[in-house]
Amino acid sequence: METAQPHAGVHIENVSKSFGPEGARTLVLNHVSLSIKMGEFVSVIGPSGCGKSTLLKTVAGLIDADSGVVKVDGMTVKAATKNKMIGLVPQSPALLPWRTVLDNVRLPMTVNPKANANRNLRDPREILESFGLGAALDKYPGQLSGGMQQRVAIARAFVFDPSVLLMDEPFSALDEMNRDAQRLGLLDFWQSNRKAVMFVTHSVPEAIMLSDRIVVMGAHPGHIAEIIDVPLPRPRTIDVYATDEFRDLEGHVRETLREVMGQKSA
Amino acid sequence: MSATDTSTLAVQAATSATGRRISPLASAKLKQNLRWTNWAPAVITFVIAAALWQITAIANPYVIPTIDQVWMSLIKDADTYWANMLVTGLEVAVGASSGIIAGFILAIIMAEFQVMERAVMPLVVVVMVTPIVAIAPALVVAFGFGMTPKFIVTALVVFFPMLVNSLAGLRDVDDRALDVMKTLHASRWEIFRDLRFTGSMPYVFAGLRIALPLAIVGAAVAEFVAAGQQAGLGSLVTIAAAQANLPVTWASIALLCLMGVILISLLALVRKRVLWWSDGAAVGR
Repeated sequence: METAQPHAGVHIENVSKSFGPEGARTLVLNHVSLSIKMGEFVSVIGPSGCGKSTLLKTVAGLIDADSGVVKVDGMTVKAATKNKMIGLVPQSPALLPWRTVLDNVRLPMTVNPKANANRNLRDPREILESFGLGAALDKYPGQLSGGMQQRVAIARAFVFDPSVLLMDEPFSALDEMNRDAQRLGLLDFWQSNRKAVMFVTHSVPEAIMLSDRIVVMGAHPGHIAEIIDVPLPRPRTIDVYATDEFRDLEGHVRETLREVMGQKSA
Repeated sequence: MSATDTSTLAVQAATSATGRRISPLASAKLKQNLRWTNWAPAVITFVIAAALWQITAIANPYVIPTIDQVWMSLIKDADTYWANMLVTGLEVAVGASSGIIAGFILAIIMAEFQVMERAVMPLVVVVMVTPIVAIAPALVVAFGFGMTPKFIVTALVVFFPMLVNSLAGLRDVDDRALDVMKTLHASRWEIFRDLRFTGSMPYVFAGLRIALPLAIVGAAVAEFVAAGQQAGLGSLVTIAAAQANLPVTWASIALLCLMGVILISLLALVRKRVLWWSDGAAVGR
């Protein structure tokens, strides 16, 4: 499946971005290059200020890079958003409180409907049921727990069958017990709906649990320090946490992060 | 049957009566509102205020009338009061609704096109800092003693708080929801339709809460300066006060006050129906 389209997935090449007024600009991304293949799950981790969220927003078309190229399935980001190929799960669920769960998930279908042609739109009910939200279809976001709200936000990003999913620390507001359940739920669903995923996180176990590769970023200016493969077999279950491979990987990622942080203070 | 059972029944009745789902949170709130500790303090304050009024009025018969004098006047001349109340009511209805609609529409235009805000807002501010009491006589010169100047004054008073609040509401969207919309390449119209319009309603209703009492002020002020053939409660106040007819003066004032209370109560009812989603627990922010 990965070889079906030569350009499938996300390609980031030499992207740089700085913010601030003329004369006092801070470089946030310094020549960042990264490819995410179709069906690949890539986490981006790093200290705050390393530009991981900026990188995600650049791929989402919310921020324009100063230089470099971002392509989604071989198209420019602009063309990709026009074709609704990018699903975004923001840091907070950002659901519309006046719409039911079902109508929140329907939102992407009703927006920019021109792009709905020739695509495998999913049934919002079905997708919500597979997320364990079958009983909450007609409820309002205010009646749901934080974890359930975040699942609705993920369903909203999956429902219109985008090629790429971008997730910006989607579980960061949840408590640890809840997070594990959400991670496994996401993994389970993604297993049968393999999109290219870019997942920004600040949790090492979360990155290992979910990803095929972990991109470790450093700050000042934001750059990719190391890309770590996660060869753990899939499908993964909660037992993965207890394996030696997991612990070795965790050690490796933490060590890399420590080096990255060390550079900053030096 | 215990107390909890009956209150649950009451809540169920409320649910079916309004034909709208009431969240557990809202029903708990309803129960709380019906508890006597909630309404009794206000009632006691009113009773004390009325008693103080009555004592003062009896001691100073040429300063304020007693409550029963006002009441008698209201009963005796009910037809006159009613006719005048209708006039003022019409002024408020026409003036306020046009001011509200104009304010909201201009807010939409300003929210969508920043140039318009830069172009028009200074003029709006200049008009709004001009005392309405000073504008009113000028409008009478221009438009005569008919209803037109009263509509204009009322609309003007309402316009500004509506514009400012609606504009703030249309601007204050959930940035992350906006990000989701942008990633879907939503058009400006779609963002307005799905996000900004409903999202602005808490601010719009806050604006209405300021604007509607002001509308009555506007109508009354317009009547002060231009009684005209059709009087209205504001004219009644000035005429009666000039004749030192205390019961009529205060009966008219009381009716103006009543109009305000009715407007605010209606607004609270509509708000509950429209903004049920904004009162609950924090959502998605």
